[in-house]
Amino acid sequence: MSELTLERGLAAFRAEIDAPTAAFFSSCVHCGLCAQSCPFYLETGDPKYTPILKLEPLRRVWENEFTLWGRIKGRLGLQKPVTDEMLAEWEELLYDSCSMCGRCSMVCPVGNDLAYMIRKTREGMVQSGHAPEGLIAAASRAIKTGSPMGLQWKTLAVQIQHVESSSGLTVPVDQEGAEYLVLLSSMEIINFPEYLEAITKIFDHAGVTWTLSTQCFEATNAGIQIGNKDIAAELVERVVAAAETLRVSKVISPECGHAYTAIRWEGPNLIGRPYPFRVFHIIEVLDELRAAGRIKTEGKEDDRLSMHDPCNLARKSGVIQQQRNLMALVAENFVDLKEHGKYQWCCGAGGGVSSNERAEELKMAAFKRKKAQIEEVAPERMVTMCATCRTQLEEGLEAFNMEIPVVGLTEMIAEHLVERD
Amino acid sequence: MRKRSDKTLGESLRDHGLSRRGFLKLCAATASLMALPPSMAPAIAAALEQARRPSVIWLSFQECTGCTESLTRAHAPTLEDLIFDFISLDYHHTLQAASGEAAEEARLQAMEENKGRYLVIVDGSIPGPDANPGFSTVAGHSNYSILMETVEHAAAVIAVGTCAAFGGLPQARPNPTGAMSVMDLVRDKPVINVPGCPPIPMVITGVVAHYLVFGRLPELDGYGRPLAFYGQSIHDRCYRRPFYDKGLFAESFDDEGAKLGWCLYRLGCKGPTTYNACATMKWNDGASWPVEAGHPCLGCSEPKFWDAGGFYEPVSVPLTLGPGTLLGAGVVGAVAGGGLATLARKQRKEEAGTRQPVTVDELEQKL
Repeated sequence: MSELTLERGLAAFRAEIDAPTAAFFSSCVHCGLCAQSCPFYLETGDPKYTPILKLEPLRRVWENEFTLWGRIKGRLGLQKPVTDEMLAEWEELLYDSCSMCGRCSMVCPVGNDLAYMIRKTREGMVQSGHAPEGLIAAASRAIKTGSPMGLQWKTLAVQIQHVESSSGLTVPVDQEGAEYLVLLSSMEIINFPEYLEAITKIFDHAGVTWTLSTQCFEATNAGIQIGNKDIAAELVERVVAAAETLRVSKVISPECGHAYTAIRWEGPNLIGRPYPFRVFHIIEVLDELRAAGRIKTEGKEDDRLSMHDPCNLARKSGVIQQQRNLMALVAENFVDLKEHGKYQWCCGAGGGVSSNERAEELKMAAFKRKKAQIEEVAPERMVTMCATCRTQLEEGLEAFNMEIPVVGLTEMIAEHLVERD
Repeated sequence: MRKRSDKTLGESLRDHGLSRRGFLKLCAATASLMALPPSMAPAIAAALEQARRPSVIWLSFQECTGCTESLTRAHAPTLEDLIFDFISLDYHHTLQAASGEAAEEARLQAMEENKGRYLVIVDGSIPGPDANPGFSTVAGHSNYSILMETVEHAAAVIAVGTCAAFGGLPQARPNPTGAMSVMDLVRDKPVINVPGCPPIPMVITGVVAHYLVFGRLPELDGYGRPLAFYGQSIHDRCYRRPFYDKGLFAESFDDEGAKLGWCLYRLGCKGPTTYNACATMKWNDGASWPVEAGHPCLGCSEPKFWDAGGFYEPVSVPLTLGPGTLLGAGVVGAVAGGGLATLARKQRKEEAGTRQPVTVDELEQKL
């Protein structure tokens, strides 16, 4: 059986180097602003966590093999090669200390998209056998069982029963021709089953036709997180196949950040063809329903609420106003964190960091930035719309003995629906 | 016109009937002139009060006397006159009363009496050591030998005017007299350049005042010019700069833009590349300056300004390449760039071909 080797890793690096990458590396002015934007650097103070340094393996391959100067150095024997030892050292930098939150890409004065290159560099890390065990296990479970947490339909079926008995509504499954195919994340099914109940109620209230699919219920994409396009493409294909079988025109990505960017932005590029359907985040759908007057609410939360914007949703996808429109519907005492929307700070758990047990300490270090932001505003509860962010906020706030509960926005909307007669 | 140099400045000024109040006003003006904070005025007063008037020898070589003219255009309140009472001007072709051998004797005597302490001011360029010494002589001696003899025991040399500082007009191509600047020839003494064609009179006196107050030379830029006066470009301080920023340019000297006072950049203004104080200090008692009078800056305080292209050609327009050459170069560049891009794309395709897909089984081996 074939193996993952340094040579395969180098070939993957080469294959990832494209015109934007070359332009980015040659235009870096070494200003260090990316460090100032990175929660992992800022909260540890360790200069090795400077974002541009995390890209050194890819940069070295580019310099050595794609630049005139690098080739001249090669002739003179002055090149610094990329070795297995180097990649082993960089594994922590590329996986444990980067949530691909994209804040560095945002602030780079010459417009270098560092998060884009981190994603590319991880391709070479996987191929050379330097991906973290937690992510390898998640990727393999995702391919083999359909869920990165090893969850199967029968578990979901049990949750569906609970939802149906508590709400008195039917959860539609495999309904051909429905308007929306609803995807879930394993994290929600296990930790936040109230999400499924919430959308069941909201869609019933708004008169939306929707369905789950037994063929594919999982929205998350472990291939994106570990950084391998073969696995990522296979997981996207499963969603596309399920949507095509049920002939839906719209697919809804759940309250999960990376699942949305994976299926919404990377998906068609991964499979090399356009989708026969459109993709939305649940928050986008809810805001459209709100705008169309199809969601009627009563009463408002009166405690002081603030909100965490998931990086994938706000900074990377521009979904910023929608969640605020929805908050206005159900909260009368809402206050934004000082830096929010596209300038928000990462919770520290995204980009595969939360699936990588080894990164626990760094993950909590990075959370300190979010904690400081929350302290500044001092809300009674936090609202968010990503299961990974939500788990991280809950764990982090508990670790610092801050009694601030975290709620999902979709559930909060569901609680205020006007009861039908 | 030799003067006794044993009096202090304070004494000398009182002899001329300057009041204490007038003296302090002068010190405050001097402070602002040298871009020093107003709090320095008392320190300047104290220093000037005690300063001995240094002996100054002014040498004129290949020049037009414009620099001296500039200096003598002393305007109210005759600040320059006062400052000239600060020094003992022992030798100056145009201004001295003595002539012939007596004049030369005055120079030699001043050098002897003030050995190591006198200042030499030079205007005009000098035919270099390899040029025919007969190109420019004074009292039968070549400019070169007079300069070298005079600077030998000087404290410092001030090169006034662009000819002395950078070679100026005599050095313009083809430079028939082998003209050289003071700093080309004087290597072992401090040289301050006060370029300009001519320099602003207050800049000349300001440098002398600085030397008197602090007993040392002012801070200089890379061309040996005092930063206090040459630290900023004409363009950065130009009152027409807002028009440049808005893209409003006069296209000819009599168009609507010129009448409305728009930026003269396209008429060849060298303001962006010229460092001088004209835009702030102005000329003739602050009356006006070239750009205010409607003419672009010629760049006269910069090295080689005579050879830097036409005075009326804008600075960013190439002066030698025609449109045909440019177009040709563009085509060659496009073809070469396109070729390289195709090669790179081909290489990338091959590289992408060597990438192997990853399977879960391969991944699991690493667990």
